[in-house]
Amino acid sequence: MSGAAGHALAIRGLTKRYGAFTAVDDVSLDVAQGQFLTLLGPSGSGKTTILMAVAGFVEPTAGAVLLDGRDITPLPPERREFGMVFQGYALFPHMSVAENVGFPLRVRGQSRADRDAKVRAALDLVQLEKFADRLPRQLSGGQQQRVALARALVFDPTLLLLDEPLSALDKKLRAELQEELKALHRRIGRTFVNVTHDQEEALSLSDTIAILNHGKLVQVGGPTALYERPRTRFVADFLGKSNFLEGTVRESTLDGFALEAGGARLQVKLTAPAFPPPGGSVVLLSLRPEKLALLAEGETADNMVEGTIRAWSYLGAGFSLVVATEHLGEIRAVLPAWKAAIAPAEGLRLRLGWAADAAVPVEEDAPPGDTT
Amino acid sequence: MHGTYGAGPAGRGVAWITAMYLVLPILIVIPVALTDQRYLSLPQEGISFRHFATVLTSEEWLGSIWQSFTIAVAATVLAVTAGTLCAIGCWRISRRSTDLIRVLMLLPLIIPSIVYAIGLYRYFGPLGLLDRFLGVVLAHGVTGIPYVVITVSTALAGFDPRLEQAARSMGASLSQTLRWVILPRIMPGIVSGAIFAFVHSWDELVMVLFIASREVFTLPRRIWDGINENLDPAMAAVAVLLVGFTLLLLLGDRALRRRTEAG
Repeated sequence: MSGAAGHALAIRGLTKRYGAFTAVDDVSLDVAQGQFLTLLGPSGSGKTTILMAVAGFVEPTAGAVLLDGRDITPLPPERREFGMVFQGYALFPHMSVAENVGFPLRVRGQSRADRDAKVRAALDLVQLEKFADRLPRQLSGGQQQRVALARALVFDPTLLLLDEPLSALDKKLRAELQEELKALHRRIGRTFVNVTHDQEEALSLSDTIAILNHGKLVQVGGPTALYERPRTRFVADFLGKSNFLEGTVRESTLDGFALEAGGARLQVKLTAPAFPPPGGSVVLLSLRPEKLALLAEGETADNMVEGTIRAWSYLGAGFSLVVATEHLGEIRAVLPAWKAAIAPAEGLRLRLGWAADAAVPVEEDAPPGDTT
Repeated sequence: MHGTYGAGPAGRGVAWITAMYLVLPILIVIPVALTDQRYLSLPQEGISFRHFATVLTSEEWLGSIWQSFTIAVAATVLAVTAGTLCAIGCWRISRRSTDLIRVLMLLPLIIPSIVYAIGLYRYFGPLGLLDRFLGVVLAHGVTGIPYVVITVSTALAGFDPRLEQAARSMGASLSQTLRWVILPRIMPGIVSGAIFAFVHSWDELVMVLFIASREVFTLPRRIWDGINENLDPAMAAVAVLLVGFTLLLLLGDRALRRRTEAG
């Protein structure tokens, strides 16, 4: 595990059809050297198919996979030199931890002495030196996951592919391993490609997230960019939670517009450079629940709405409220619990407000199967 | 069984009678083998082991046992090799055509062995395989394949295909994957199939009657001739030895399955 730089991966127009079903539809992506890319999407979005095509297990119907500019599409998986962590880890049950980790080296015909040193270094990397002689079934889920990581990294792969690496673990362990994985990525500087349906995992681990739905790439970007400026309703909804407000543009200015929605007038300020929509057009806004604030008596905000609490729940860090409003329907808000000025109760009347730049316009998604 | 009712007396009775019905014809050879008479009968005045002694010192019986054993071993090797490769191939490719092949492989099990034997007789004549060690090994080996295909396919059904993908992602060639990952995982199925293939050859008579005469004289064949020509109780002694040997193999198979289930 030298400090060799990672390799750049490019996916060009990747398409995979199974009969009439299109699992992946013309996806192009670039992963720069040493980047951590996450393919995020619900089940059936084609994310695993893309990973398997990169690994060489799925033969694309069309398109190409390039490594440092070289077309590797025709190469079988065993010639690609990619490390891979499988869902459920796929550790060899009849081999000890050390034999599992040493497998890629044994395959390459390395001497026992070389192998032993590298296996020890790899186990050291994932803090499992003491478990070398155990069988996989004698390890906890988290430990098995680490063995799978060590096994995938021991032969200095050009890329590390991860297929839902943390999905089988409980929440607390998942958070721990997320941090470890991130630290590992930083330490070894390799290019990682991860597949998950867990949006929190994607946000916390990735340099870049590619959001997929129905086999199509919906949006690519850094975690903050995707969370703050989702392009479509699907992205806003899948990556975190969101309120959606629809209205008609009444007045456009240089960097914003006023929207009439259900009888209420909303001020929107655009944060990213974009042309404000023309007057009279219908616009959909995404508004994150945590961007709403409880307004005290006499306090004002760019946008204000009054309503009564329909339902609420306590989340520890905050209160999650569903507020029924007169003009905007039901609105979800998350308020920090430690400084909430109210004790939530059903039927309680309150005023919520948000800044003009809190809500962002999003597009409706194209229906599945639409090829435009 | 927790939460279920035990069987009533009638049920128990039927169960016992069925078990006896299955086991008694096998058990009856034990007293017959121990008879003190010189013909096939139950012991009259006392128990004697002389028929066992006859079998274990007779060149003819020992020769047949050895011949049966070597044929069975060779046929097992053939059946295990072909059956395992076929099962793995079908599993890897896994299309509708492979299902057909799997059914085809079971044909020797479905077709009455006498039909098979007639066919073999027609083909082996011109090939010079009649009454030859190789001929009997081929016949027994090929008809033993279904047992191996069945047990190995069952073992493969429980094999996580991701293990194969994992091996390949780490750079393992097909033969390395086969040797180090797939075979060790399905070994219990292979051994199980081998035991069945062995037993199949070990006690096969019908085909041997057709394709062998003097040179190849297997143990079942010698028992068969013994029954037809003279009623020597030595046959019963051989039968007891056969039953004992087969039982041992089956117990071995069972122990193996237990161990895999526990593992």
